[in-house]
Amino acid sequence: MSAVMSNPLFREPLTIAGAAREIEFRDAVREAMCEEMRRDKRVYLLGEEVAQYDGAYKVSKGMLAEFGAARVVDTPISESGFSGMAIGSAMLGLRPIVEFMSWSFSLVAADPILNNAPKMLYMSGGQYGCPIVFRGNDGAGGQLGSTHSWSVEGLFSNVPGVKIVIPSNPADAKGLMKTAIRDDDPVFFLESERLLSMKGHVPEGEYLIPFGHAAIRRAGKDCTICSWGRPVHFCMEAAEILANEGIDCEVIDLRTIRPLDLPTVVASVRKTSAAVVVDQSWSFASPGSELAAQIHRHCFDDLDNFVHRVHSDDVPTPYAVALEQEYLPNVRKICEAVRSATYRA
Amino acid sequence: MPIELTMPRLSDTMEAGTVVRWNVKEGDAVKSGAVVADIETDKATMEMPCFDDGRIAVILVESGKQVKVGTPIALVALAGEDLASVKAAGAGGGHGASTSTPKAAPAPVSPAESKPTTVKASVPTSVQTETTHGMEEFGATSARMRVSPVARRMAEDAGLDLAKLIGTGPSGRVIKRDVESALAQVASNRSSATIVTGTAMSVSTSAAPTAVAPLSLALRGRDVALSNMRQTIARRLVESKTTIPHYQVTMKFSMDALLAMRKSFNDKLGAAGIKLSVNDFLVRACALAMAEHPFFNASFAGDSIRVHEQVNIGVAISLPQDRGGGLVVGVITDADHKSLRQLSSDARALAEKARTKGLSMQEMSDATFTISNLGMFGVEHFTAIINPPNSAILACGAAIQQPVVRDGVLCVGTEMQVTLSLDHRVIDGAMAAEYLRTLKEFIEEPETLVV
Repeated sequence: MSAVMSNPLFREPLTIAGAAREIEFRDAVREAMCEEMRRDKRVYLLGEEVAQYDGAYKVSKGMLAEFGAARVVDTPISESGFSGMAIGSAMLGLRPIVEFMSWSFSLVAADPILNNAPKMLYMSGGQYGCPIVFRGNDGAGGQLGSTHSWSVEGLFSNVPGVKIVIPSNPADAKGLMKTAIRDDDPVFFLESERLLSMKGHVPEGEYLIPFGHAAIRRAGKDCTICSWGRPVHFCMEAAEILANEGIDCEVIDLRTIRPLDLPTVVASVRKTSAAVVVDQSWSFASPGSELAAQIHRHCFDDLDNFVHRVHSDDVPTPYAVALEQEYLPNVRKICEAVRSATYRA
Repeated sequence: MPIELTMPRLSDTMEAGTVVRWNVKEGDAVKSGAVVADIETDKATMEMPCFDDGRIAVILVESGKQVKVGTPIALVALAGEDLASVKAAGAGGGHGASTSTPKAAPAPVSPAESKPTTVKASVPTSVQTETTHGMEEFGATSARMRVSPVARRMAEDAGLDLAKLIGTGPSGRVIKRDVESALAQVASNRSSATIVTGTAMSVSTSAAPTAVAPLSLALRGRDVALSNMRQTIARRLVESKTTIPHYQVTMKFSMDALLAMRKSFNDKLGAAGIKLSVNDFLVRACALAMAEHPFFNASFAGDSIRVHEQVNIGVAISLPQDRGGGLVVGVITDADHKSLRQLSSDARALAEKARTKGLSMQEMSDATFTISNLGMFGVEHFTAIINPPNSAILACGAAIQQPVVRDGVLCVGTEMQVTLSLDHRVIDGAMAAEYLRTLKEFIEEPETLVV
């Protein structure tokens, strides 16, 4: 991993001059899966509609043709069943990638993915690992209603033994997916339906982004904003508005929440004395509350105010478009939190 | 937006204040600068001005009531604002407070949240976007000084006294920018060669009141409520006596020459309204002695000793029982530069004002050395407790006629005992003896005090 860590690419801004190739988030995920499947015959993809239909969101487009039905496997609508099957195959040496059409549907597979996969290495006394990637759409996709709009990281990050990756852009999606596939532990890889069509520069060829390695998206001196996944974009937008008000924000994209890159966050908060955590899961016992607690602990004497948090509101996700927008962590809420945290309200 | 008048912090040590009297009533027009109320602090009664033009919409704390610093005590409606609706919003229990349980005094609110015209229903069980300041939802927190952690650390690193800073955060919290602006102020003072005096040195007096052993309930008696002043005396003197390594050194002075000179002066100057007391000579002697003994005009500051440039002599003044008793320390500033006549007039004015109107914070601040005199009560000898952040206090007894031996001959002389209480962190025993010897020379050869 040390060669990977020393790759200067990981800390670079994502738009690299002269390297113009821009592809969609879904293409970046596919590219990572294909590269890894070419590299390692143990890797295979399974899930609902991933083969003949190219995936419900076209992430696995063309993969059946390249890798065949043995490695790109259509499953019945039975998350509990195919998750359990994937875990069994991982225990016996394969490296499955499980696509959930939505992470909201993973709840019916709670026993295999929370009770079996993360505990396998421990409970077998080291005999069986579980090198498996569970991936799919997470968070509000846009008027999908309460039951299909889960941000599962709030629940799942509570479980020891899982790694949780929440990329915010195509380049990270590729580099992190490749790391996830090569990781020997179960990895929950949370994509956003709203980001799948997002285009961005993605370097061609081989690169991996290590877990637990945050990216500073915007340097600033007045307030540290920490986020991951889709809300990172809201944070960047808020930072622009706040800059016009004279508040200079540093935006940190954590990229993975397990492991969590505390050193980067702590170094930033020691500089700014103010922190806002933006997390699209619900606030109670969430990754955001955990990060806030860690900041309070490690930066106690550096803080000028308590760590402010912006979450989805504490209600089931509304269907109505205006309500859903208001419910999610949005630019307005982030701006308000930063102004309050920096006593500029 | 209506302006909230809150209980001001009028002294370093003030945690709560009593509205002694309202000078306005609801509906009255007020102008910026108008004195709207008299506030009793822990030491004095002071006038509270209003800083805005408007009309008093509602008085939230009636006179005679004590509330913590920062508690809203009235709302001022500004021009164009409807008195009744401001009053309704203000009386509705404040902002974020439950509307079903109106409180006599709403909890302090942050400036960011104080929009009294919109009564917000609080949702205490769910954490929404956090832009309140953590105090509103669960009622007022203690009135102790609020300081953000980084502000505290920065102030400590820079040796700034937090009690001297004015917090601009919610409920007066001292935040980073307050420390930064204070540091900028200090820097600009330094660069303009202004002498930074020891005002930033005062030892914290915000320690919690010390608990005492519970009284046996079998004993009959009556409980007398502590006045603000008595609470302050209790807290500060416990702090002094328990944190300063006190010791005492006593010396006797022959007073014959000084008393003769005093009588002569008073006889001659009485017509001009001048009546010098023994204490005036003592103040002068103590102040002049500082030139030779700078560590008596100093404060222990943790990792250093601050030797003050100014000599400000504090004089303990007891207050009459009909004003609630107690004592205050009035301060004669630059005492080493003042004549006996000036010192006498300053001391008399301070005592008179203390016993009638009460002293201002200014008149009680920044003593560098204190004198306590019980001679007028016939006390021969006593010891005093150091008045922090001083390093010494002089306790004076009465000048008493007694048998003395002068040049091997027994005769009658007038003698006075004085006892220094000293902070051993600053002053050692031999230094104390030297200081007393200097005092003795001044007192026993009083003409040196005149020039």
